[in-house]
Amino acid sequence: MKWQRKDILAIEDMSVEEIRHILHTAKVMKEILMRPIKKLPTLKGKSVVNLFYEASTRTRTSFEMAAKVLGADTTSIAVAQSSVSKGESLYDTAKTIQAMRADVVILRHPSSGSAKFLADILDPAVINAGDGQHAHPTQALLDIFTMQENLGELEGKNVVIVGDVLHSRVARSNAWCLQKMGVNVTFAGPPTLVPAEMEGLGVKITHDLDSALPGADIVMALRLQLERQKSGLLPSLREYSHLYGLTTERLKKTGKQSIVLHPGPMNRGVEISDDVANSVDALIERQVTNGVAIRMALIYLLIGGSSNVVA
Amino acid sequence: MWWLKDVWVIDPSQKISAPRDVLVKGGQVLGISSSLTEKEVLEKAQGESLETINGKGKFLFPGLIDVHTHLREPGQEDKEDILSGSRAAVRGGFTTIMAMANTQPPIDNRALIEFVCRQGERAGYAHVLPIGTVTKGMLGSELVEMADMKEGGAVAFSDDGKNIQSSEVMRLALEYAKLTGFPIISHCEDKDLAGEGLMRRGVASGRMGLRGIPASAESVIVARDLILAEETGGKLHLAHISTAESVELIRKAKARGVDVTAEVNPHHLIFCDEEIGITDTALKVNPPLGSRGDREALIEGLRDGTLDMIATDHAPHTQAEKARPFAEAPFGIASLETALSAVWQYLVLPGRLSLDRVIEAWSDTPAQRFGLTGGSLKPGTSADMVLFDPDFSEVIEPAKLVSKARNTPFLGKTMQGFPVMVWVEGRLVQRDRTVI
Ligand SMILES: [Zn+2]
Repeated sequence: MKWQRKDILAIEDMSVEEIRHILHTAKVMKEILMRPIKKLPTLKGKSVVNLFYEASTRTRTSFEMAAKVLGADTTSIAVAQSSVSKGESLYDTAKTIQAMRADVVILRHPSSGSAKFLADILDPAVINAGDGQHAHPTQALLDIFTMQENLGELEGKNVVIVGDVLHSRVARSNAWCLQKMGVNVTFAGPPTLVPAEMEGLGVKITHDLDSALPGADIVMALRLQLERQKSGLLPSLREYSHLYGLTTERLKKTGKQSIVLHPGPMNRGVEISDDVANSVDALIERQVTNGVAIRMALIYLLIGGSSNVVA
Repeated sequence: MWWLKDVWVIDPSQKISAPRDVLVKGGQVLGISSSLTEKEVLEKAQGESLETINGKGKFLFPGLIDVHTHLREPGQEDKEDILSGSRAAVRGGFTTIMAMANTQPPIDNRALIEFVCRQGERAGYAHVLPIGTVTKGMLGSELVEMADMKEGGAVAFSDDGKNIQSSEVMRLALEYAKLTGFPIISHCEDKDLAGEGLMRRGVASGRMGLRGIPASAESVIVARDLILAEETGGKLHLAHISTAESVELIRKAKARGVDVTAEVNPHHLIFCDEEIGITDTALKVNPPLGSRGDREALIEGLRDGTLDMIATDHAPHTQAEKARPFAEAPFGIASLETALSAVWQYLVLPGRLSLDRVIEAWSDTPAQRFGLTGGSLKPGTSADMVLFDPDFSEVIEPAKLVSKARNTPFLGKTMQGFPVMVWVEGRLVQRDRTVI
């Protein structure tokens, strides 16, 4: 397909063809990553700016690595922000970046919609590396890449996403991406964290995890922010863990050799038991590689132009 | 002297909605007649120079009264000031505006009330009538000197922008305001329920990951205030009603005889939460845009009189403040210059509301409730009038707006139906969309 898109902001507005094209490109990128000499001249002279308003070594490093493998120069701007209203506004920062003549800007920001806000201002391509509670498209793409590697074609498969979906950009982006690929998605968690309005994403909603597990090919646990208890959204971690924690015992209910994913970092003993966490850990190395491959694919598709690395 | 010939006059205070000729002399409405001959008019002019306007195809109605505008002076003149705000008012068809008290400092004493009055007179466009706060410093605890502020020119009391969280303070305010005969204007918003919300809680907020404000954040306080007004026998006016539940609560309270009136903002009648895009900070407003069902209930409430008035809640902000990610931009829509046109285009033209009802809700009713002059074209009253051209169309562009603010969802849109002449006390202050 011919790539038209200037930015990667959210899965919601992407077509299935685009998603498949990204996943296909990532497969090629992964092969390149597996080579002994993994440095390409493809994007020589191009510059990628990492603009991170939230600390995330994992995501930032993944993007940096992806850009470097493709031969691009990278700059990282970390903006520590205790409060969003303080300091230079995103608008002003955007103007500065525009002047730097970057080719791609990777944005991680605590406000939902900030990536689109930036993309509307900037000429360079913008990749959303997580905006508030809205979207985290690269995480969703890498999760789906990993799922495909394990299960092959995903159409008709069942995925259960457990936990604090109300506040989760990972849950939102995964739900969009999976459903576009023909996957049945269920959100499970307490009513305070999985409220009725989440049905707007087209997913099934349940507050009874055990009833959702039979037939699940993949179960994804979300990280529980421990401050949710203080703001009254749940009475205790103990009760949460009892109702929604993923244990080996509970996972038997799927009746399958289900794969467990977690966007990390995990609260062992809260949303995931130690032994299940170990099975997630076993996948981590592959997830990291896949993350770099997906991000290489995206950067390449956005600014690779006519260069022909993907034959 | 002015002779407005063959114009469709809408004056709910006299139950007129018909083609008429209107004469204005010495700053006052001289008379409204079926039709006049030139000879009759010249006799009445008694040698005074006469300007004749052919009003065919246009409407003439009392200058609109807006009971809810934020003029930002003193303290936030980068957003708006009393001069720019009152110019925006007459450009939009408003000849009287009630200035909200949540300035910096808040209007919580007589000196500040008189300052706002004087600035309004100096500006010399719309009549600017100050609303005082209910509590000192708008802190929600001690009542202001209501009687003294009334002497200074206050027309109502409100801590708008903030809810009075203490039910006891609200009860006392309703009691004490009896000394003035003025209503307490309540901004109904439960702080805990609203939380850090950014838009109405619902499918749209859930989809975009924008923190939601449940409809109950407004309605539980509406219920509380109605109960307090009933118990005290105090006068209550509810600002910017936005939910179906609130409309139902008000309807029932009115049936019981509670002394309550309520207003609705044009944006709540026109937009709903599904129309908000993730970067549309021009639609970020408090109370937030509701569901389709809410919008229907509001229109129905305005039609049947449960909602008494339309008010703009003109809330100007700078471009820099609105040019931020959704969570970081301030709440508010600047609407003095577009509100009437928007109501015409989105509600009257499609037949959702009659123009007669709109004018009643925006002139006579507010005048009655707040004891104001204006809102009527009775002979002998001050000639505050609007000539409205339903065919006049205009692109809403920054260069044309006279408000300092640009935070309107209509920016860049072509709108149709505008006031093309506006008089304050018989003096023409706006002609062909230009403020004089
Ligand atoms: Zn308010």
